Amino acid sequence: METVEVRGLGKKYPSFELRDVSFAIKAGKITGFIGRNGAGKTTTIKAMLNLIHPDRGEVDYFSLPLIGNETEIKQRIGYSTGTLNWYPRKKIRDIAAIVRRFYSTWDDGLYRKYLEMFSLDEGKTPLELSEGMKVKVNLMLALSHRAQALILDEPTSGLDPFSRNELLDLFEQLKKEGTAVFFSTHIISDIERCADQIVYISKGRIVAALEKAEFAARLSEAGETLEDTMLRLERGDLNA
Amino acid sequence: MRNILIKELRLSASPITYFFIAFGLMFLIPGYPVLCAAFFVTLGIFFSFQSAREANDIVFSVLLPIAKSSVVKGKFLFVCLIELCSLVVMGLAVALRMTVLQNSPVYLENALMNANLFALGAALFIFGLFNWIFVGGFFKTAYQLGRPFVWYAAAAFLSIGVFETLHHIPGLEAVNAFGTKHIGLQMLLLAAGMALYAGMTLLSLQTACRRFERIDL
Repeated sequence: METVEVRGLGKKYPSFELRDVSFAIKAGKITGFIGRNGAGKTTTIKAMLNLIHPDRGEVDYFSLPLIGNETEIKQRIGYSTGTLNWYPRKKIRDIAAIVRRFYSTWDDGLYRKYLEMFSLDEGKTPLELSEGMKVKVNLMLALSHRAQALILDEPTSGLDPFSRNELLDLFEQLKKEGTAVFFSTHIISDIERCADQIVYISKGRIVAALEKAEFAARLSEAGETLEDTMLRLERGDLNA
Repeated sequence: MRNILIKELRLSASPITYFFIAFGLMFLIPGYPVLCAAFFVTLGIFFSFQSAREANDIVFSVLLPIAKSSVVKGKFLFVCLIELCSLVVMGLAVALRMTVLQNSPVYLENALMNANLFALGAALFIFGLFNWIFVGGFFKTAYQLGRPFVWYAAAAFLSIGVFETLHHIPGLEAVNAFGTKHIGLQMLLLAAGMALYAGMTLLSLQTACRRFERIDL
């Protein structure tokens, strides 16, 4: 069963258009959402979280349309953005104390577990944390309420190779527990390392939304790595 | 609603907003336009909107498992709570001036407006203007603060000017009554202030919910 289904999303801006974006995210799978800067990854994720209003298309979570079931759906999903941080001068402990009030599934035991796993000091403020640690705080908040689907915008951007590796290991672990992990990135090696499915977006259109092996079989030429394939496609083969 | 209000109080609010509630005590200052107290209280609330914007508070709130309209209602609840707290402070000052201080020469010889029940009603009117022009205006974009605040400030100071002038107009001296004189009129004017406050706030809340539902974040 699809955990998240995105169908025909479209949004027109003066200088950019998201066109007919469709893909599905499955439980117990890691889906990498890849595309260069400005390809439409964040716009798609914003539409998936109802932060922007698409001109066309729908998003369903757990077979429920997002519009009309937003409150219930948001109880069951987690999100993280690599670029935004919340309340830079408030302590993590205080932010978590507020967040926990909104989730009926909040688990203090899990909160403590991830606090320890990520080596986070809850007495610190986001301002005192590195970019990588901020991503971990967002993830910790999402995981502490047992999110069944994680929607993560560029979680690995700004992370050092060690932290990136740790994060990708965590994705693998969450996948084993049945969580649907969806993350956007422009770092192809992240996708190569852990994704089961690849959703590739270019200039606001989905080029491919396939299992990783199928993606390589359909789009890669002999001897090409995923990175070579992407670079070739971005250089112009898409228009060929 | 309780949770979103707690979020407003503990995460979104700037500490200066709470401090500015004390400006209600300006109702005790003789020879000073007392309604400026209401403006200072709203200035304190403005600081909370400013710090909340810097903390990405609106996007954080929208991502919580609540309806978008609850985010707007949470802001209005917070604003009204601060305004009503300051109104209590102003009310205490008015009670003092209407009773033990009613014959105090510094107040009796004051050319400016007296702090009586009418002044409380006028303060409520200014709070209503804030809720209508500033808070409602903010939710047109959920990030632009300057323009709605300038419009509100212009309306607030114009209103203060009008309220300060009223008792100098022949026939309207009763609005500046001391102690319990003209108490019926005083209570009527306070009730009018309450009604205008409630009307402007509810109207603004409805419009803000509708606007906020439509904007992209």
